[in-house]
Amino acid sequence: METAVTALDQSFAALADPTRRAILARLAQGEATVQDLARPFPISQPAISRHLRVLEAAGLIETRTQGTARPRRLKPEAVAALWHWLGQYRALWEARFLRLDAVLDDLAAEATPTKGTPDAP
Amino acid sequence: MRLDLTMHVTQEGETDVVVRRDFSHPPELVWRAITEAALIRRWMAVEPWPMTRCEIDARPGGTFHYEWAGPDGASFFFSGPVHVVTPPHHMEHVEHFNGDAAMASHVTTDLVAISGGTRMTMVMRYADAAARAAAIATGMTDGMAEVYGRLDAMLEAGL
Repeated sequence: METAVTALDQSFAALADPTRRAILARLAQGEATVQDLARPFPISQPAISRHLRVLEAAGLIETRTQGTARPRRLKPEAVAALWHWLGQYRALWEARFLRLDAVLDDLAAEATPTKGTPDAP
Repeated sequence: MRLDLTMHVTQEGETDVVVRRDFSHPPELVWRAITEAALIRRWMAVEPWPMTRCEIDARPGGTFHYEWAGPDGASFFFSGPVHVVTPPHHMEHVEHFNGDAAMASHVTTDLVAISGGTRMTMVMRYADAAARAAAIATGMTDGMAEVYGRLDAMLEAGL
């Protein structure tokens, strides 16, 4: 369990940086080299490489050796595990659905205006 | 009977993400809340990402466009065609993230009357396992941005 928590802490730290999140979003569309990844960002390739090392240490991405090229790619199992662990998608939709509950309550109240609550003004 | 309003999210097969949620109001009301732009706006906004565009023509051959803008000027949107509409129970549409057809999902929404309300089941079907993983990863990073935005605000406020 301690190992899992440490890995999760590392993942959190890795995701705390907007450039690293953008790199992950880019890699979600397919593997890419450091040069590919550096192109959209106003920072140097060595800086991108540092970000990639953090992501790799956190177990979120891996390097594939293909001749002299070393494209990076997402580790799907790591992403899936994070998804379940963090439940971000879940949190987003849970928040939305709670608001939807309130919208539905309002609509129902509008539909039956005579059925007000006793303490309504 | 008191409904359990817990949301259930599962990955099914190679390509599907299934979201299930019960609501304590009839399908007719839920249908309005998910197909009328003025109502969608009230629950789809996500702090600190206000909804800057919310359009839907919930008819076969119609389209929708939902867009959010962040505090740093970034924005993202979901858009696509509406294919099948059977009020107040069934809708099928295709959803593109930021206009990217490679990340499309075919979304089927069903509203079924249950005792005390409605059961909503949304099936998001992606082209293949990789496309599903990509969509999840993007959703995750967007969610993380929100969480860290909130964390920043909390830290600034001294928690």
